[in-house]
Amino acid sequence: MSEEELAKDLGLVSAMTIGIGTMIGAGIFVLPGVAVNADGGAGPIVVVSFIVGGVIAMVNALSVSELGTAMPKAGGGYYYINKSLGPMFGSIAGMGDWMGLAFASAFYSIGFGQYLAVFVDLPTIPGLNAIQVGALVAGSIFIGVNYIGAKETGGIQTVIVGLLLSILAIFSVAGFFSFDYATLAGNEGGLAPGGYGAILPGTALVFVSFLGYAKIATVAEELKNPGRNLPIAIIGSVAIVTVIYAILVTTMLGVVPWPELSQDAPVAQAAQVAFPESIGPITGVAGAAAAVMTVGALLATASSANASILASARINFAMGRDKIVTNWLNEIHPNYATPYRSILVTGGLIVVFIALLGQDIEILSKAASVLHLIVYALMNVGLIVFREADTPEYDPDFTVPLYPITPILGAVLSLGLVAFMDGIEIALSGAFVVAAVAWYFLYARDKTDQQGVLSEFIRSREGELPDQVVGAADAVAPTGTGAENEGPTIMVAVSNPRTESALITLAGALAQHEGGRVLATHIVTVPDQTSLETAAENRTGLDQSSEELLAEAAADAEAFDVPIETKTILSHRGIEEVFDAARTNDADTVVMGYGGTRFAGGRVEGSLDELTHDLPCDFLVLDGQRLDLSDVLVPTAGGPSSDLSAEVARALRDTLGVDVSLLYVADSGEEESGREFLAGWAGGHGLADADLRVETGDVEETIGRVGGEYSLVIVGATERGLLSRIVRGSLAFETIENLDTPVLLSERPSARSLWERLFGGR
Amino acid sequence: MTSTDETDERDLLGHVLLPVAHEDDALATARALEPYDPERVTALHVVEKGEGVPDKTPVEQSEELAAESYAAVRTVFPDADEHTAYARDIADAIFDAVDEVDATAIAYQSRGGNRLVQFLSGDLSMKLVTKSHVPVIALPREGSTE
Repeated sequence: MSEEELAKDLGLVSAMTIGIGTMIGAGIFVLPGVAVNADGGAGPIVVVSFIVGGVIAMVNALSVSELGTAMPKAGGGYYYINKSLGPMFGSIAGMGDWMGLAFASAFYSIGFGQYLAVFVDLPTIPGLNAIQVGALVAGSIFIGVNYIGAKETGGIQTVIVGLLLSILAIFSVAGFFSFDYATLAGNEGGLAPGGYGAILPGTALVFVSFLGYAKIATVAEELKNPGRNLPIAIIGSVAIVTVIYAILVTTMLGVVPWPELSQDAPVAQAAQVAFPESIGPITGVAGAAAAVMTVGALLATASSANASILASARINFAMGRDKIVTNWLNEIHPNYATPYRSILVTGGLIVVFIALLGQDIEILSKAASVLHLIVYALMNVGLIVFREADTPEYDPDFTVPLYPITPILGAVLSLGLVAFMDGIEIALSGAFVVAAVAWYFLYARDKTDQQGVLSEFIRSREGELPDQVVGAADAVAPTGTGAENEGPTIMVAVSNPRTESALITLAGALAQHEGGRVLATHIVTVPDQTSLETAAENRTGLDQSSEELLAEAAADAEAFDVPIETKTILSHRGIEEVFDAARTNDADTVVMGYGGTRFAGGRVEGSLDELTHDLPCDFLVLDGQRLDLSDVLVPTAGGPSSDLSAEVARALRDTLGVDVSLLYVADSGEEESGREFLAGWAGGHGLADADLRVETGDVEETIGRVGGEYSLVIVGATERGLLSRIVRGSLAFETIENLDTPVLLSERPSARSLWERLFGGR
Repeated sequence: MTSTDETDERDLLGHVLLPVAHEDDALATARALEPYDPERVTALHVVEKGEGVPDKTPVEQSEELAAESYAAVRTVFPDADEHTAYARDIADAIFDAVDEVDATAIAYQSRGGNRLVQFLSGDLSMKLVTKSHVPVIALPREGSTE
């Protein structure tokens, strides 16, 4: 088993347990009483409100499932939105998710306090009612448990949820026997005393009971077989919970007439009525049933609050990884191995929310819902962006049915439901959104280097879209590079001690010229038969050679005034890993040896063509072992790759004092226009001081003949795919290969390939 | 698995398994072991898994922590090997790792804390010394009195 596999230990049942355990909490145990009596009495119609809530949750669950299987990463909603819509919306989503969870946890704590008050007499403190006191105690315990990281075993969690479901099932059965349709419908005003218009405001109130399914996605990286288990768990838990809610609320209202339903602990009250006072000789059954329901409510709210606090730490981690918040927040406690700072900050927010807003449970529950709904809406938009931009990395195992109707519906329903909230919750959530945007511009914009797929998409279509759109995308784009260093990253793939020094010289000159840094990597190809784990364990010998090579690289780079980092990468793949490493390290230029391109060996596969047609950054491939730079020749006919050649030549001229000559091979009789072109090109590329040469004849032959006079020839790829042809050895480059002078091949991904990448195949 | 009569012949410090929790802990533990000049060292980090519930920290963060810890050990023992285990029970994972890397002893440094803290976070020291099938070396804590 690879380490990847070992880290995955959540099966389908565990995943479902997380979803159901989080959702079944204060919402169903507290809100039915509030909802039926809301706005002068909505009445039994609230059953429909719960079902509508379930439908909205289900539409969003489909989108979360698709995004989750495409990107099983810690962070969930925040991560998808940051990746698709960029860090400004990412900041909104991260803040929204985080604050939404804090509000939800405060709400769960209040729910806990309400049921606790059934058991014990809680004191009041000036400014706080008894329930708030109970909630503060409960909230502090939840925070403490997470801070210490006291482990509940997976077994216990499953048992708790199982117990909860059984308690609710028994209640439903008992309720079924005491169910009286007259109790449900026989009150003043019938089934809908407040009219059918009360349905959606009811949904707005109870939607908090459905927050939780998205938590499964925040731990997606820990799921076994996420492609299958994630959608089943998310969609399944929403379906199960919706059915449970519909049955429970109907039962409650068929047992206790709705105007009399308790606003604090309705389930305990209904149980008291539903169960007979005595069964045979046993008396006090009803009281015991109410007590059991109360214990169930306490368990349910506690597990919801716990899961939410944990999920908020995940979101903080994901935001820290993208540098939207400081990583200080995500430090791990030395003894408890918990992200204690994140938990304390979230805990502080929960305590404040309980103390300031806990008098009115509606504000807490609705604020939690509004913030989550904003995140859901953005998530649906993000899904559409991923699909439309056709990003190659975006490859979900589960896709939403009826695209694009489902995500559009999800976004519309989510925002639509927000409209049924009250002004105060919308204002409160709006304030957090504004704060998130302000945070992005004041803090995160300079730090993060994450660019959304959306802004790439807009920028690549600059010509087709109105200026305002492009301008807006630029105005909010991140300015940070993630690294301390602001300049480009020049990645060197060293593989051979003989060529190492030449490659580092080129990279060092470039990095110094551009004010960037050098990243020297040694990619060690491990045979497929050997697992990477084994290879890593037996790497003593390998480490030594690798370390020596990289140490030499570092020493060579010292000649330049640039920061250097070194890395050894173990991989089953050869050249593909170079591409991967370039992507993951955000390299701007890759410098590698000609021999290095060969280490694909016999394993040239179909995907390689695709890879090399889709360069992640500029590539410089050196054919030659030693460099003794005094003068360089740059043959050019224009084009993006020769722009790169010019940049390299400029860097060598400015840092090493190398003389630059430019060569244009013209057809005979056209020397004059050739000279004009070359002079213009030289001026346009900051090489006006270069020696200009115009020759006639066959291009390759001329380069071969003239090149011999120089210490380096820099050849730009005149067409895309040059690199792929070198790798496969199909390029007839004999003249140049036979040249004694070292040759540097440069290839820059053309604008067209980016366009193709984004719009591929359409 | 090594049978007991074979262990009789083995050098106690032939191959020391060094469980480390985080960067500082790794550095302190490695420094405490340094004077005894072990022949071979394998640094072990156990990523605590929930096995049914979400972990305390994201996997990615746990693995970062492991990498930092190994790097810290290597500042003292440059040739140290590394081994990452994923388990809910840290002590059991350490014992499994002993067999996997064929270590001759476990060297660790108690992370202290009062009884309550040790009880709550699971008393690792107690489990290590009472259940191990190879010798367990308790390294002295820096600054502790004789």
